[in-house]
Amino acid sequence: MEILPSGLPSVIGAQEDLARFLTQSSHFNAVMAKPSAFLPNLKDHETSISRHGEDPLEGLWALGLEAAGMRKLYGAAIFKAHGVSTAELDVTPDEPPPRHAVIRGWPWISDDAEMQKAKQKEKAAVLASQAKLILR
Amino acid sequence: MNAYARGGTAVSAEARKAQQAASAIVELADRSQALFGEKSIAISKLIALAQECHEPGWDGENAIPIDPVTVAITEAFLRALPDFLPLPELASEPDGAVSLDWIHSRTRLFSLSVGSNSRLAYAWLDGSDKGHAVARFDGKNVPLRVLEGIRSIVGYGNPSLRAA
Repeated sequence: MEILPSGLPSVIGAQEDLARFLTQSSHFNAVMAKPSAFLPNLKDHETSISRHGEDPLEGLWALGLEAAGMRKLYGAAIFKAHGVSTAELDVTPDEPPPRHAVIRGWPWISDDAEMQKAKQKEKAAVLASQAKLILR
Repeated sequence: MNAYARGGTAVSAEARKAQQAASAIVELADRSQALFGEKSIAISKLIALAQECHEPGWDGENAIPIDPVTVAITEAFLRALPDFLPLPELASEPDGAVSLDWIHSRTRLFSLSVGSNSRLAYAWLDGSDKGHAVARFDGKNVPLRVLEGIRSIVGYGNPSLRAA
């Protein structure tokens, strides 16, 4: 199996922990990261994540601060890679930066933006339901 | 009138009647104040959210700003919600829409997007059941399917759910 510059394998295992960093205060409440936190960006139709779990927290926040840049880092939503399959999406490594990966396969319907959004929201809700909220 | 309505010293039948009428008015006013207050708070939070997301790329990538039309439609939707339903939490979305979320638990939620047109995208999770659809909002009445969807998640009113 190929090894990436970060030292991680090129294949993401089903039990591997993934983190979606939270940089918007509206994207979580006291209980969970909301579906909106997982929606894909408009440019490449992907959701950026990092291959890191809750431990060690210092490592998680170091990655998060790097990803957040100038934005405030509120926390992270941690979920298993098999949760992405449950939502019928794909996750693939995307280095650099180290440990970076993306969720792909979001529905994209060019002639019906609202139906596209509804389908994406359902998948985002599935991801949100499986994620553990960790606040800084 | 508050003191009169809540006092319990009326003796004659007329006085008791007047006191009951005053109580009813005070109760109605209190209720209207509470409901108006809650919606006002939700609308204030909507405006604050739009201000947070008024620049392109507010998500650090290429998110679209929340525009005034989206704010106006979202406000109309919030005002159109029946009073027996709890108000939703609000969140920004990369396409400039506002997400209205009724979250009962991680596996039981209803999430609706309001954008810059009358079509509303929504999805729900209810245990192992899930789904999505699109409905049209006329600016005054919440679509019946949306109402039913929200109600099936939160019931007729859950005091633990409040506007974010």
